[in-house]
This record gives sequence, C-alpha cells and structure tokens, in this order.
Amino acid sequence: MDTFETLRDIIAKKFDKAASEITLDATFESLEIDSLDTFDIIFEAEEKFDIKVPNDEVDIKTVQDVVNLIDRLRAEQAK
Amino acid sequence: MQRRVVVTGLGVISPVGNDAETFFSSLMAGRSGIRRMQVEFIDKVDAQLAGWVEDFDPLAHFVKNKAATMDRVTQFAVVASQQAIRDAGIDLETEDRERIGVHLGTGMGGAASIEEGYVRLYRDQASRLKPFTVLMAMNNAAGSQVALELGITGPGLTYCTACASSAVAIGEAVRQIRHGYTDVMLAGGSEALLTFGTIKAWEALRTLADEDKNDPSASCKPFSANRSGLVLGEGAGMVVLEDMDRAVARGAHIYAEIIGYGSSSDSTHITQPSVDGQARAITRALTEAGITPDQLDYINAHGTGTKLNDVTESAAIRQVCGTGVPVSSTKSMTGHLMGASGAVEFVACMMAIEQQSLPPTAHLAVPDPECDLDYIPNFGRRDVRVHTVMSNSFAFGGTSGVLIARKV
Repeated sequence: MDTFETLRDIIAKKFDKAASEITLDATFESLEIDSLDTFDIIFEAEEKFDIKVPNDEVDIKTVQDVVNLIDRLRAEQAK
Repeated sequence: MQRRVVVTGLGVISPVGNDAETFFSSLMAGRSGIRRMQVEFIDKVDAQLAGWVEDFDPLAHFVKNKAATMDRVTQFAVVASQQAIRDAGIDLETEDRERIGVHLGTGMGGAASIEEGYVRLYRDQASRLKPFTVLMAMNNAAGSQVALELGITGPGLTYCTACASSAVAIGEAVRQIRHGYTDVMLAGGSEALLTFGTIKAWEALRTLADEDKNDPSASCKPFSANRSGLVLGEGAGMVVLEDMDRAVARGAHIYAEIIGYGSSSDSTHITQPSVDGQARAITRALTEAGITPDQLDYINAHGTGTKLNDVTESAAIRQVCGTGVPVSSTKSMTGHLMGASGAVEFVACMMAIEQQSLPPTAHLAVPDPECDLDYIPNFGRRDVRVHTVMSNSFAFGGTSGVLIARKV
C-alpha cells in the first residue's frame, strides 16, 4: 500500500467514511474533519509510518497535504 | 417572591437499568446490579465486585469517531441528559438555549482515559499520548460535552465534591433558576471509575466490601451488622429542573418541587464522617424547605455499607429527624456510584413520589444495634403516602449535600 492508500484507510476507519470519499484533493473541511481530529489522524500516521511530525508542520488542509508531509518526513527522518 | 423550581425530566444509566422506569422497578424488586467484574485485571484485585453498567453500547448513541473521543463518564452523562430532556418533553430546537444551563457532578472525571494514558507511557513505554487524552480525562469534559451535544449555552459548571458531587450540582442548579439566572437546568452527575488503578486505590483505603460467597450480588449490606464495606459502581443520573410557572404553563409533567438544599463541611477528618457535619447539612435543608422532620415520608440514605458511614449517618438522622421516618439505602443494589450517586438516588426519590412506593434496603439480614431506624429491610413498600422526600449524600473530604423535594 502506498502512502495515500494507508492514509485513506486510517481516515475511513476512524471517521466511518467510504474510501471513495477520500480523494487526494478532498479538504478535511469537506470531509467534516476539524483541526483537532486531524491531530488524531497525524497521531496514527506517526505510528504507522514511524515518523515524528513537528508542531509547525500540522497546518494541513487537504489529504494531499498529509501525503506530501508523510513522504517528505519519511525521507528526511529515514536518514 | 422567589421562583419555585420543579423536576420535569429524569434520565439514568445504572447497574440496575438504563432508564428511570427499569431502574426503579429493579430497586422495588430488590434486584441487585452488583456482580463480579468481567475484566482482564480481575485476578489482581481483592474487590472483584462492582455495580457494573451492562447493555450500554456507545455506538447505539454516538457515531464511532465521537464515541472514541468521549470517556465512558461522558458517554453516560450525555445519554442520561438526552433521556431527561426527552422525558421533560422539551424540544431544544424551539428553546432559548441561553436560558438553559448544565451542572454536572463527577468525582474522578475521565479516570479511564488518564489511566489509559499512563499505561501507554509507563507500561508500554510509548513516547506519546493520544491527542484526545486531555479532552477525555479533564473533569469538566462530561459537563461540557452535554452542553455541546445538546446545544445549551447557559452556565455550564462542573462540581467536584467526591460522593456529594451530583447532589451539590442539583442543589446549586436550583439556585440558578430560583435567583433568575436561568429558566431550565440539566443537573446531575456521572461516574465511570472502574479501572484497575482506581480500584486498587480504593482497595488501599480498606473500605471495599468482602464478597458474599453465597451470593456476590448481596455483598453490599448497608445497616446490617454483617456489612463489610462499599461496592464501587458506575453510572449517571440527570434531571431537568425548571421554573415552576414555566413548567405549569407548558403543561409539563411535574415529578416534584425541590424545596430544600443543605450543604456543609465536616472539617474534622478527610475520610471519617462526622455526625455534626451531616446533621448540619440535614438541618440546613430542612430549614430552607421550611418543614419539620416529621413531614418527611422517606429518606434515601447515603448508606454506603461501611461500618462507619452507616452508624454515623443513622446517628445524624436520629439527631435531627428522630426515628420515625423510613430510610433506605439503594446502594445495596446499585453499589456506590460516587459522583453520580446523589443524582441517581435523587431519581429514585422522584420515582418514589411518582409511584407512591418506597424502595428497600436490600440484604439487611442482621440488625445492628447502632443502626436503629426503619430501613425498609429487604422488601419495598407499595401504595404508601410519599409526599416529601430527602436524599443524603456525604463525601470523602467532608462535604455533605442534602436535597428535599415535595410532591406538587
């Protein structure tokens, strides 16, 4: 599973959403997921991808933002 | 002329039923909700009994994500509140919700959430906690979520006076309406502390009951000479309080009017109850109610089943009210719901008036010479006159909260 698919499963499971709703360009606002809930998503993503998301990186609007963030941090933190 | 305050809605989640009717019919039948816990840590605790709430499925009330962000104490509080509002026949959509407030009492708040956090950190050596940990564990979470879920925007206060928390929450809510700050209040309490750590902490106080080997459900024996302590329980009780004129105008069903509330501090010992402190709270409630003790038809005792509480409370009741008023401890069947006990027992009092019936003290087999009141032993009384009732709540820390209500 790639980053998006893994993330999509986390979101779908946590918020009881259909996977089809969760597209790359979907905003969390349109998914009715507020900023506090996105912390919860990031929390699980940290676990799943073995990364640490710094506080100044948590300003995210879309699913794509999180995918990009995860991929970047994985590359950076793998070193 | 002060506004009068009446009770128009009841909600309850308890070890003996998750609505007021079921709850009270269990009490009248002497049916105990105390049972051996079904938990993984059962072999590590001496006290394996609890007043455990069964048949409570959070997903029947909340969507999954919502349920996951509410501690059990909050889930109980919100569901009991929704019940109470429904029972009162109030449509919140059409109400001025600024004129409605929430008072919620809880002893230990989100005990399970804080414990889960510690387990992750200290046992599992995790490096971080779930983002909702604070928001689930904080003591005001339950009251705040009630306001949020129901869209109530008046005063929202959490009372934390251990076992008197919800009695105090109700008593202070009466004053909100009486003094004109609000017209309607949701008031009561919730508790869900049956966690490994909390049970061990209570165990250390040496106040928990030994298991009755013949019948574990009979392990809490208030006022009986063979009593050995209290049984921890969980649940929630919420009531809708309302300005009487408003309730009458909308044709609401009125359970009773709250006519007296008394609170006091023992200021003697952090755990040992004081006859004088309890008597002071009872006297204050009677004075505010403007009645004499002989007008009481029923007292729902704090009646925890500990050696000390039951003797002390009996003495306090005897000192102020004499020996003529029937008294019972419904904790014999529910266990001690701690911060929720005052409200849940107040619901029992409302149902006593409603059904003109008095619930018993179950498992009272051996009279104790130091407990010499009429405790309604083992069998409830139906078709009796129940006009005026008093509910006692006495807490660790020495806070007492006493409520008196009368049929309108």
